Amino acid sequence: MADTLLEVRGLNKSFGAILATNNLSLAVTRGHIHALIGPNGAGKTTLVDQLSGDMRPDSGSIHFRGRNITRWKSYRRARLGIARSHQITHIFENLSVAENMGLAICAGLGHNFRFWRHWRSASAIQKELPFALERVDLLHRSELVARHLSHGEKRQLEVGMALIGKPELLILDEPMAGLGPGGTVELAKLIRKQKGQVTILLVEHDMDVVFSLADRVTVLVYGENIATGSPDEIRRNPLVRKAYLGEGG
Amino acid sequence: MNLLMTRKQIIIISVALFLIFLPPVALFGGKPYLLSLASRIVIYALAAASLDLLLGYGAMISLGHAAFVGVGAYAVGILHFHSTAAEPLFTWPFLFAGSNNGLVVLPLAALTAAFAALIIGALSLRTVGMHFIMITLAFAQMLYYFFTSLEKYGGDDGLSLAARNTLPGLNLGNPSHFYYLCLAALFVFLFFAYRLVGSRFGLVIRGAGNNDRRIKGLGIHSYHYKLAVFVIAGGSAGLAGALLANQTEFVTPGLMHWTLSGELMVMVLLGGLGTLFGPVLGAAVFLLLEETLAMYTEHWMVYMGPFLVVTVIFAKRGLFGFLAGDKGKNG
Repeated sequence: MADTLLEVRGLNKSFGAILATNNLSLAVTRGHIHALIGPNGAGKTTLVDQLSGDMRPDSGSIHFRGRNITRWKSYRRARLGIARSHQITHIFENLSVAENMGLAICAGLGHNFRFWRHWRSASAIQKELPFALERVDLLHRSELVARHLSHGEKRQLEVGMALIGKPELLILDEPMAGLGPGGTVELAKLIRKQKGQVTILLVEHDMDVVFSLADRVTVLVYGENIATGSPDEIRRNPLVRKAYLGEGG
Repeated sequence: MNLLMTRKQIIIISVALFLIFLPPVALFGGKPYLLSLASRIVIYALAAASLDLLLGYGAMISLGHAAFVGVGAYAVGILHFHSTAAEPLFTWPFLFAGSNNGLVVLPLAALTAAFAALIIGALSLRTVGMHFIMITLAFAQMLYYFFTSLEKYGGDDGLSLAARNTLPGLNLGNPSHFYYLCLAALFVFLFFAYRLVGSRFGLVIRGAGNNDRRIKGLGIHSYHYKLAVFVIAGGSAGLAGALLANQTEFVTPGLMHWTLSGELMVMVLLGGLGTLFGPVLGAAVFLLLEETLAMYTEHWMVYMGPFLVVTVIFAKRGLFGFLAGDKGKNG
């Protein structure tokens, strides 16, 4: 564990009698695509919510870039370099694609108490906006109101927004959910393109995607980390096959 | 936003020209009383447009906007009261005997209302949704009862002004002069608000209005931005209140009553939420309907209600969206 970017130690979260996160420890190495898999209800999104600051753990700690961020609010974590995309697409539906991306750029500009000049004429916007839209293949869609985008394009926009401001850690919560085969291939290509520039924690159902993209895989069952290893190790792990891949052996 | 639709432009320009040339036409046509009504419309338009910044862009459903109108009006009334009474408003840290000078009173009214908005907003904006509606309503009603209890300033009878404020080069007693002052205030506000909505600040506000959780996820602490726009809207409503006090030469706690907040909200919805210019149309239609319907029946709301329902159902962006073509765009 020479270069650990994110470390989770003994995390617990329960909803009533249900242990959604059960004494979970996890380390994500800088530069990796680290996949998080597990059957439905394994507590993947609950864990991600705690990492991004949308939910507070009951006990345990979260360390990011060597700092204990367990009690930090989400916007502070975002400033330190954690960006996330949500399982349910989370964009500004009533704003145009360019405005969505522009807001993501504005978020990195310190403050936005600029009341007079049009937001598009800000120098940072002029410099970054076309590039940011191009990176996720949405330049031709920039004036469209975001709610009129296709499902896959919304995901692309969301990933593009998460990539603004060069986050250290990008958390993608089931980015492929609901996408057709074409959209999945496009998005996988997009994610692979980011490899090496950003550490990615990928929560995913699609096994082909996970095994083709990930450097490390963590398997979650009932909120517990039952195995962590390379894709090959995970594929061979009998415990995982039993619990998750549903094969008797 | 930077590419205005031509139909929208035509409507805005023709309404602006109509408003500008109204006084000579009204006077020439021998209907000077129209100017008084027109001034009232323009003032309400200012208050409604300022509310639209909150409702239409920031999705902050404030049911207490009248509080700021009332504070602005009372600033005019109280300063006037002390300028005519023998008793100064305060003697420390310097002697201030009150004033009737518009250059002092009008900015002071807007600032006082903005300060009230700062305090009310700072507390209210910690809540969202239904709680925000209720807490803004509660604050407005608190102010209403506070001013009702101020015996010195007329209690619930209100306060009469002996004369309108003075401004160099203008005679506000003259209906045309006063009308143009109100119109200038409205135009300046609309231009400023138009720039505001398109600016980086405005983008953050629109984003927060659309999806506040997402804004926080981006690392923007939206609270400060919302508070700033709440203060701007409150100050502008205060200016409207100051003008209203001058127009009627009378100040009453009724200006803070929640029914006025409701009327302003109706004007915004009627004219078009999130269009800035729509509330101007909304104010005009609302007040003209009130004026004409009230001639036939005192239960004019019976007709106003269905009209509002029909407008909201069939024209998503209100009258303005209906006239200018609804592109489903914010702004």
